[in-house]
Amino acid sequence: MKKGGETLNRPDNTAFTQQRLPAWQPMLSAGIVIPGFVVIGLAFIGVGVALFVTSQNIQTLERDYTGVDQSSEHNCFQCLDVKNCICALNFTLSKQFEGPVFFYYGLSNFFQNHRKYGVSRDDHQLFGDTFYFTSPDDTCSPYKYDSRNRPIVPCGSVANSMFNDTFSLYQLVGGQKKQVPFDGKGIAWWTDYNLKYKNPSKVNGSLANAFIGTVQPLNWPRPVYELDTSDPSNNGFLNQDFLVWMRRAALPDFRKLYRRITEGDYADGLPSGNYSLEINYNYPVRDFGGRKKVFFSNVSWMGGKNQFLGIAYLVIGSLCIIMSLVMLIAYAKYRFDDEDS
Amino acid sequence: MMLLGATAIEDKLQEGVPETIAILSLANIKIWVLTGDKQETAVNIGYSCKMLTDNMTEIFIINGHTVQSVREELRRARERMVAHCREGGKGDEAAGWAQACSLGNGVRGGDQAGWPLPQEKEKPESGGRVPSLLESVSGEFALVISGHSLAHALEGDMEYEFVETACACRAVICCRVTPLQKALVVELIKRHKKAVTLAIGDGANDVSMIKTAHIGVGISGQEGIQAVLASDYSFSQFRFLQRLLLVHGRWSYLRMCRFLCYFFYKNFAFTMVHFWFGFFCGFSAQTVYDQYFITLYNIVYTSLPVLAMGIFDQDVPEQRSLEYPKLYEPGQLNLLFNKREFFICIAQGIYTSVVLFFVPYGTLAHATQSTGVPLADYQTFAVTTATALVIVVSVQIALDTGYWTAINHFFVWGSLGSYFTILFIMHSSFLFSIFPKQFHFLGSAQNTLEQPVVWLTIALATVICIAPVLAFRFLKLDLKPQLSDTVRYTQLVHQKKRKPGISGGMGISGVGLGARALGRLGRSASRRSGYAFAHQEGFGELITSGKNMRLSSLALATFASRHSSSWIDTLRKKKHANSANASINSANASANSANASANSVSANANGQPHTPPAPALSNSSSLSGSQDTPPEEVGLSNAQEAVARDGVHSGATSHSNGCTLVTSPEAETGGCSLGAVQEALFGWRGVGARVSGASSPGPPPIMEESSPTE
Repeated sequence: MKKGGETLNRPDNTAFTQQRLPAWQPMLSAGIVIPGFVVIGLAFIGVGVALFVTSQNIQTLERDYTGVDQSSEHNCFQCLDVKNCICALNFTLSKQFEGPVFFYYGLSNFFQNHRKYGVSRDDHQLFGDTFYFTSPDDTCSPYKYDSRNRPIVPCGSVANSMFNDTFSLYQLVGGQKKQVPFDGKGIAWWTDYNLKYKNPSKVNGSLANAFIGTVQPLNWPRPVYELDTSDPSNNGFLNQDFLVWMRRAALPDFRKLYRRITEGDYADGLPSGNYSLEINYNYPVRDFGGRKKVFFSNVSWMGGKNQFLGIAYLVIGSLCIIMSLVMLIAYAKYRFDDEDS
Repeated sequence: MMLLGATAIEDKLQEGVPETIAILSLANIKIWVLTGDKQETAVNIGYSCKMLTDNMTEIFIINGHTVQSVREELRRARERMVAHCREGGKGDEAAGWAQACSLGNGVRGGDQAGWPLPQEKEKPESGGRVPSLLESVSGEFALVISGHSLAHALEGDMEYEFVETACACRAVICCRVTPLQKALVVELIKRHKKAVTLAIGDGANDVSMIKTAHIGVGISGQEGIQAVLASDYSFSQFRFLQRLLLVHGRWSYLRMCRFLCYFFYKNFAFTMVHFWFGFFCGFSAQTVYDQYFITLYNIVYTSLPVLAMGIFDQDVPEQRSLEYPKLYEPGQLNLLFNKREFFICIAQGIYTSVVLFFVPYGTLAHATQSTGVPLADYQTFAVTTATALVIVVSVQIALDTGYWTAINHFFVWGSLGSYFTILFIMHSSFLFSIFPKQFHFLGSAQNTLEQPVVWLTIALATVICIAPVLAFRFLKLDLKPQLSDTVRYTQLVHQKKRKPGISGGMGISGVGLGARALGRLGRSASRRSGYAFAHQEGFGELITSGKNMRLSSLALATFASRHSSSWIDTLRKKKHANSANASINSANASANSANASANSVSANANGQPHTPPAPALSNSSSLSGSQDTPPEEVGLSNAQEAVARDGVHSGATSHSNGCTLVTSPEAETGGCSLGAVQEALFGWRGVGARVSGASSPGPPPIMEESSPTE
């Protein structure tokens, strides 16, 4: 044997190069898989029951107020072609609606998740970068400049299409209308309000001055610094409704939080009785076959009503149990011998 | 005359050759020996490496020198085989060797499913039978063909006949073949059989063959480095071939198949989500995920675990691969990655994508946070789906990985960790404040992942994706266990029983195992020596005659038919002059049987410290009497074999690679004499994954006994 020259190309005799690394070699043995399925099944059924019961206890109320079809509950069909129209939606609560109650508006067939719609915004502007006030991002086009070539702030489709119906809720008590106070604070994400969106720094103590030289989005009746006439601090890009709208929905049927009902007599919820929801009907949805809805809902630890999750957990849990039984039978009948030598 | 001395030349088998051949043939690998040696040497080598045994039903020797005689001999061989099968009352045997013939499928598209090609006319009975035992002992035939006959057999009109006949035999030995013929034989197999060919050799005359075969292996011995330079793999001992094929080749196939399957799976799971989302976003090409997730998914989040699996995965340990050569068969039958497996991967990927989209869709559509804020915004949806995807594919790779080294653990957990780390970095306010446009997912990770509903969604999606796979695999393991599953199972049970915590010793035990395997196979009744030295002309004339040059096959055929008689006549004349050597087998056998016993005695008498001269002397002296041979041309392989046969395996084997060059007639004619079995041509079907695989040709031939240890 010539040993001398042989070692030249010889790989190292290590566990790594010789593929001898110590290893855990799991096997899908019956002792693991079948109990595993049982455990998963039981856990899922348990969670499923909890989810289902929780979800069942959540009260919701949903009304369509598009006005395309006649309804005895509201008179919004009048407003279909009328500007600055106010219509009312009446509903009755037969029992107390537990608080805190959340009030949502919903749109359907509205594709906020369309790609070209989604990119049509300028995050620099919204971050308060005034450089982009004069030359908005190209993605905003065609809502970048108005017809007289003035830059639009906030530019883009998303801002331009902002939902502008407004609502106020009244309880009908003995023929009197008693307003239910709405709380519009903190309905947007904390990170959006505090980090992602920033108003430009005020010029001469006025937010409006910062927007000089720009125009409001074409569809907007008022500029962004006057979105909330009642609360001056709720203006500019940090307007809660604006923030809610700008967080675009993933699916074409979506709902967005409008207000909370947490104050005054209604902090514990809406007592049973008759209510009237006054709607400033502005937002046109008929062109694209959309629908407008309102929702009342309360929440639990797991959020709002979510039947799907509970049922899915129950079904999958049951299937796991059934599967474990099938596997147990198969194992008992056909297992190959462990000890054949 | 005064005896001044005697010289002997030793040219013996390398260590472990018979064992290797035995194991490889158990692995359903067809072995052909193509050698430049003369016929009796080749036959004796065949015996010594256990390719030929005395238990063989019949050994056909084809050494005709005319087209007609070769054709006739081939036909007779086939008739004998068919007749044997019929009279043996085992009708299935014919199908058995027909099956043996069909070396795999899939390389060439596989519409024939491995059966003999349609131009087969002479042997209609060979096709389309019920596949049965390939290794049926009573049906073992061998074919020995000389270079002169091969020249005719490789002609256009006869080659198919030749291939069919040869493939029906368990062993094929081609002797006195020119280097070019070696390549032609390989090419013949490649052309007619859907087989993967492997050529192994150590000499310069093997280069053409090594280059022609799908896989070329060079033995780096003392014959120079030409073969090694031309080869894909090289090693110093023939016996390492069993590790190359049965251990590393097998693992490589397994790993590659799993790797490929997983890659298709994970990419389908990833991409198809967009298709489903398309129905809800007006097919506007809106991506479901964050752009950075798309960038990093394939290269950071999911690449390393599958890479680790592709490098380290082992279903059974190496010594088990050698113990159970049948484990090699899935590769030959193309079982681990074929069209069916491919579509299963795709289907699983699509199923996963459906779950990954519609479960979040169902749960998030109307869900809200506990603060009342809806969860169905795009960024929450994106983060939820992406997280579920990464978790599902990670669980899937964890399920696919059968061999968890520390590196696998590191990569799998590391990938998950890196996903969450990068997710939070990408969604941080720091990056957003620098590039608001690019990192507009600010806060999504935090807002999404703190919601219990999101985690419930992810858990639900994971279980829906993985549980069916788990159940399916368990049931498959239980109802239809593969050999590898059984071996793995037994191994693990034994391991646990033996000593918990000690991983199976994985030393190289090839020889020992091989020897054990041989113990079962070794049934040589008569003692045969591996030596033969009769003087005979080499293949020089064959080369100069111009036969089997690379002409167009038609021209070649006509050329052959015209010219064959002349050079063959000269050969024949020489042959007759040398008639003592012509009847090879009988003369040899008788001479050798006496001889071998003498050898074994002398070898044993000489004891373990190997002293070459002594057996050499005994050899040459005893044989020079019986045949008139120049004493300096003694191939001394028998001493070693005698020793080996007597079970003494270690001590006497301290010699080098065994290829001592002989100054033999072959040297003059240009062909190097080689040690041992120098070239073997393997039909094997298994290295590498074949994407365009075909359906398997039926149930694999079953082996009667799979483990020598039990």
